[in-house]
Order: sequence, then structure tokens, then C-alpha cells
Amino acid sequence: MSTTSQKHRNFVSEPMADKPVMALAGIGDRLGHSLTEQGYDKAYVVLGQFLLLRKDTELFCYWLKDVTAANRKQADDCAQCLKDWCDAFL
Amino acid sequence: MSFVEDPGHLSKSRLKSDLVAHKVELPPAGSKKEAYVALHLRHVDQTNAANFSSDEDDQELGVAGGDPGSAEELDPSALTDNDLKALLFKYGVKAGPILASTRAVYENKLRKLLQSAGEGESNEAENAVLYSDSDEEDVREENEDEEKELEGAQEKKAEALEPNQQQSDEKNVPAKKGDFFYPQCFFLSSRLRPCPPRNNERSSRRNSKNALKSSERTRPHRSQIPAGISKVSSVAQHSGLRSGVPSASPSVVSSSCSSFPSQAFSITQMVEKMESWSAPSACSYSMPEHWSRSSRLDNDAEDKDIIVDQADTPKDSTCVKEIKDPGRDILKDLLADTKASPTGIYATPRRPIKGAALRPVQYAYPDTPVSPTTLERQEVQRRLVPVYVQVLVFFAVACILFLIFVNVEDTNSVVDLLESLSQGPDGDDERLDAASGEL
Repeated sequence: MSTTSQKHRNFVSEPMADKPVMALAGIGDRLGHSLTEQGYDKAYVVLGQFLLLRKDTELFCYWLKDVTAANRKQADDCAQCLKDWCDAFL
Repeated sequence: MSFVEDPGHLSKSRLKSDLVAHKVELPPAGSKKEAYVALHLRHVDQTNAANFSSDEDDQELGVAGGDPGSAEELDPSALTDNDLKALLFKYGVKAGPILASTRAVYENKLRKLLQSAGEGESNEAENAVLYSDSDEEDVREENEDEEKELEGAQEKKAEALEPNQQQSDEKNVPAKKGDFFYPQCFFLSSRLRPCPPRNNERSSRRNSKNALKSSERTRPHRSQIPAGISKVSSVAQHSGLRSGVPSASPSVVSSSCSSFPSQAFSITQMVEKMESWSAPSACSYSMPEHWSRSSRLDNDAEDKDIIVDQADTPKDSTCVKEIKDPGRDILKDLLADTKASPTGIYATPRRPIKGAALRPVQYAYPDTPVSPTTLERQEVQRRLVPVYVQVLVFFAVACILFLIFVNVEDTNSVVDLLESLSQGPDGDDERLDAASGEL
């Protein structure tokens, strides 16, 4: 039974379209900027990375922590958000 | 000779990722592979050499073509993409494309797997030494390892897996047992509570029992049923006949039901009920279970049940047949007194509902058949001594005792007692006055 944040629910409720990466759950301003600098400026790019890792939340967490200074909770939230979105729309 | 492949054999992207991993400045984007190779040679190989300078023996072992046995010594970053992928697959991790962005992740993953595998092996060795029956331990350890590898879980997860599995196994057993709890519950309850909830017990027993079993068991009972029920129903019928006034009516079938005394339910209700009863099936045709069923049907007129019982008992066939046939039988029985009409139509009007729509109560309803609880109560009441009898007996006994007392005791004392009793208040006053006077 996970308690999802409002951001999570907002993101998962509709196709992400061109939402910025900061619309992802767990990604705030700081992480968002960090990702944008690395080239992941849109949520769908991060989604692409998630899909490359075969939708494995654990690997995605590793990646996110590698690429940004994300902590475990943030990475988990982001991974779960993407996973739920994929389950809903992919 | 280093066991590391020549950078020249590696792909450009691979070289790029290696350089990134080792935090070496990448050459400009348009540069050729040679530049990457050169950089790689300069930086990465140096670091690799530094890492392995102390492990020359292991290096030589490892030279023999990436021996899986010496996987601990392998540096994931020194592997090719394909090798990395293969190794990960060996540990049960299905890796996606190993690109610049994903390579680091997969290398980390492989490192963790290698560490956990190493720890697992060391644990195995320790356990084999410590414990005599090492088979179980090894199996468990192997399972642990497999689980860790397969799931690629972190160490905490892997450790938690075993107890979880055990717990889940334990849970499964009670879960399976739980399915059987329900019949046991009912059986136990039936044993523990003999008298009062007999109805519930019977109904529950019916639910839990197999339909076949119960039908087989109740078949011998069915022969007894018609005798018992027919008596009751005949009484009801005859009284109903006297009170009912047959006359023309639209349909025979509905009239057959409606002509029954004290019932105003429609044929559809009866059909539905019969279907519902036949669905839990042939179980419980025994009389007591009939009664329980009736009580379960939420206080419908109990007299319905007699008719239904009568309907059930003669026939074994499907519900529709049961409805039609008893309908005819009942009609004939009911209207046996009346002359057969020339058209052969046994038609009676629907009985008006007693008191409904301010209709006067024209027809006196006969004694309603009673539920088993009422029967029990009546029986009990019959055996019980009525109150007035108890009071009479009480007074009689009191008089007798009094007489005995009078006769046995001395008369003087009795007389005094009587006087004192009768003159209680007066006597007290006199005595008090006397006492006060004396004082």
C-alpha cells in the first residue's frame, strides 16, 4: 500500500506530453536543474532512460543517483512514478 | 601482457563510456576512434594496471579467458558490452542495451552481484565448516544466492527473502487449512449447541455438506415425510376448502396457489423459491431442514412450507414439474368436494388478503401451521405447570403446614402466638403503654 503524492497522481493521471522533467514525482527544482543540464530536459527523455533500463525501478534508481545527487527516496519516487505511468499508458 | 583487451578492439561508444567512467576528459566530438583509444590507453589502462599490480597471480589465472570462477577479480568496467551483458544474464539480470548512459548502471549492478556472490560463497564455506548437516545449509545458501542473483536484489532484500519465504509457507498452510475451517466451525457449533439454534445449525450444515451426500442421506427420510406432512396439510386443506369460495378465475395454476388458505403469494414467488431451493439442491429434504429453510425465508407464512413440502415430496423431478404436478394434485385434493365442472376447469378466485385495502375479514383463517420453535414452546408449556396451579398448591401446602403446626404444638402457645399476631399493633401499643406506665 503506497501512499502516492499529489505530484505522482497528477503525473500518472494523463499522458505526459511535453511536461518538463520537474513534473516527475521526486524531482524538485534542484534535481530538475541537474537533469536538464545533463540533457534530460523533458519528462519523456527520462522516460526513455527508464525504458532503456527495461523499466527496472532498481536500475533506474541507480542511474538517477549516479546522474544526479538524488537520494534514495527521491529516486524511488521518480521510479515508481514512471512505472505507474507506463502501466497506465504504455 | 594484460588480460585487458586492447582498446583498439573496443567500440567507440564503449571507449567513450570508459573514459567518462574514469572521469577522463573526452576528446572533441568529431575526433576519431584513435583519439579515444589513445586516451583510453593512457588513463584507463594505467588505472587498471594499478589495480591489478598486486594481484599478478590472479591476473594470470584470469588471463585464461574470463574464467567465471574468478569472477570476483573481474572489473566490470573492463568488460566489453557483450561480456557485461552475458555476465549479468548469468546472474539472472536481463540487461537492456548497454549504452553510454546505461553502462555505468550495469557495471554497478554487476559489482553488487559479484560482492554478494562472494559473500554468499564465503558464508557457505563457513557454514559448511561450522555445521555438521551442511546439506540443508548449503541448499539454503544456494537458494539464497540464487534468489539474490535472480532478483538482483540488494543485500537487505536477499536476507529478508528467506524468512519471508518461510513466513509465506507458514501462511499458506493456515490459508489452506482455513478453507476447511468453515465446515469444522459448523460441525463444532452443532456439537456445542444442541438445542436452541437447531435451525441455524441445520441450515449451516446444509450449506457445508456436499449436495450429493445430503441428498443420499435424506432420501430415506423422504418416505417418512409424506406421511407426516400429508396429515398436516390435509388439515390445512380441508379447512381452507371450507373457508375458500371457489369461483371462476383466469388461470388454474395461479388459482391453485391462491386458493390455499392464508396465502396470497403469487406463483412466481413459489417458482423462484423452488428454484432457489433446488439449486442448493436436493440436499435437505428432511422435515426439520425444511422447517429451517422456512424459517430462513424471512418469516414468510409458514403455511406456505407445508404446501411446498407437499409439492417437493411427491416428485423428484425438476422444479417446474414439481410446481405443476403438485398444483394439479393439490387442486384435486382441494376441490375434491366440489362438483367437477363440465369444462373441467378448477378455478377459484384469488383470496383477498385479510384486512388489506380495508377489506373486511370475511374468511376465517384456520389454525396456522406453526414453526418448530412454536411447537417446542407449546410442548414445553404443556409440560410446565400453569401459574394458578402453582399458587393454589402454594396455599394448600401453607394451610397444611399450618394445621400440622397447630396440632403438634401446645395450644396455649399457639393461641398466644395467634393473639399476638392478630393484635400485633394493638398489643404493641398496650405493652408500650404498660411499659411507659411502669416507668
